[in-house]
Amino acid sequence: MTARWFPDEMPVPAVNAETVGWWEAAAEHRLVVQRCTACGTTRHPPGPLCPRCRSTASEWSDLPGTGSVFTYTVVRQAFIPSLADRIPYVVIAVDPDGADGARIVSNLIDIDPSDVSIGMRVDVVWEDMGPELSLPRFRPAAGATDAKGAAP
Amino acid sequence: MTAAAARRGACLVGIGETRYAKWGGIADTSEYQLAMAAIQAAVADAGLTLDDVDGLASFADDRNDATFAAADLGLPELRYATMSWLPGGGGACAAIANAAMAVETGACEVVVVYRSLCQGQFHRFGQGPGGRPARGPARVAGPRRARTLLDAHLGFTMPFGMFSPPIAYAMVLQRHMHRFGTTVEQMGRVAVTTRAHAARNPRAVMGTRPMTMEDYMASRLVSEPFRLFDCCLENDGACAVVVTTHERAVDLARAPVEVLAGAQGTPRGFGHGQYSNVSMPDDDYTSAGARTVAGRLWARAGLGPRDIDVAQIYDHFTGLVLLSLEDFGFCGRGEGGGFAESGALAWPDGALPTNTHGGSLSEAYIHGLNHVVEGVRQLRGESTCQVEGAETCLVTSAAGVPTSALVLGRR
Repeated sequence: MTARWFPDEMPVPAVNAETVGWWEAAAEHRLVVQRCTACGTTRHPPGPLCPRCRSTASEWSDLPGTGSVFTYTVVRQAFIPSLADRIPYVVIAVDPDGADGARIVSNLIDIDPSDVSIGMRVDVVWEDMGPELSLPRFRPAAGATDAKGAAP
Repeated sequence: MTAAAARRGACLVGIGETRYAKWGGIADTSEYQLAMAAIQAAVADAGLTLDDVDGLASFADDRNDATFAAADLGLPELRYATMSWLPGGGGACAAIANAAMAVETGACEVVVVYRSLCQGQFHRFGQGPGGRPARGPARVAGPRRARTLLDAHLGFTMPFGMFSPPIAYAMVLQRHMHRFGTTVEQMGRVAVTTRAHAARNPRAVMGTRPMTMEDYMASRLVSEPFRLFDCCLENDGACAVVVTTHERAVDLARAPVEVLAGAQGTPRGFGHGQYSNVSMPDDDYTSAGARTVAGRLWARAGLGPRDIDVAQIYDHFTGLVLLSLEDFGFCGRGEGGGFAESGALAWPDGALPTNTHGGSLSEAYIHGLNHVVEGVRQLRGESTCQVEGAETCLVTSAAGVPTSALVLGRR
């Protein structure tokens, strides 16, 4: 899918040796979480060793792409000028299903900002920024728009 | 007496400030020149000379390097120079604590802690890291190489428009409101109370701009639930604090203010704080991140929240003041809003007069080192909102990032 939600001036993600695998998976439209292969603990943002067992062995574990809103904000100020005609927009922290508490930051799209609520169910949708860069955004889960306010 | 009372800790013996001005308000003097002026003012206030100074300390990646400063100030010898790793405003109290440890161990004798911050000459923090609106173009082949670890972590936030502190911390307060019923009006009480304190302070940037709850509610939304008046100032100015041994302090002109305790750090897994980490446990996410710092601080001081006469609580955002009050035990988890609503923070009659200088919301944003300066003023009896007979002051550094805190006292 190629729909665009933000202007071209938005920041490009910076990556390092620990995080590049997550972005490579994203370019393939795979929502993943880093999982320790020694003890199974997940972590995000990715890091060089497991904070629980200190193993350096890990894998990119595929997630189903569903989740729930942990928290959110409706941004009403254009922090870069070209956002002026895109505000308000919604930033969310998502609890992806299967990620065992490793949350990610994203956007909730295709929704009236006044309808956003903590706990609402969401589905991933991919935005292609370039041949090697795709960003996961989220939209209300099918049939979930009436389920607002369902706290975890 | 307490364990802390048995020791004689390092003392804060001098304070110095330049004028504080709105963003871009200081154009005729460089940020570095302001740093020099604040240091000189603090040393003079202590009744010392620059020939007595042998250490320099700062935080928040202050641009005005101690090594250059030592040479330009003509210090006879530089024996100690530290920069706190705690990011941004989290390190103000840590810089003081580091200086206190240095003089207590004999590594040096007189340290000046300083912070000079001219956002008008450089960048506005509200625009996020990097000093300018981060630019695409978003239509690119792929990601770019990160310059720092933080840069890589912010790769997971910036492309989604979470590129400014008020956005990240609005999400924390949204969750706090959801869990505990905290209200916008309770945050407004922090803003209005702090502004009233600033009205008595001639140094305060917003001292001549009174604010009612109606004014607060009418201010524009920035990132829900934060309004403009929930957010601190972005401004120009510098301040400095002189730290030395108790032994030396008692011979100086000013009544010494003792560092009864200092503590710094994070709970497990807190990382760089909610600015880049949304994976921490819910109880930490909806906190100031100061729970472990508070525990060690009170234990080291041999005091608790009930023993504190006045507090200077880091106030980059109103809502995070509520979370700090919870972490430091002035009220229970989730009760920060009600505590503020009760009038507790207001001078002179509140249970805990807080940010008696006007804080970062209304005096100036010098990354919280001005909160330490105000703590010294209170314990000297020189505040413009003086708490009568104040003997103990809690000073905290930024909530929501790895942080630090001090208990100051006089006796």
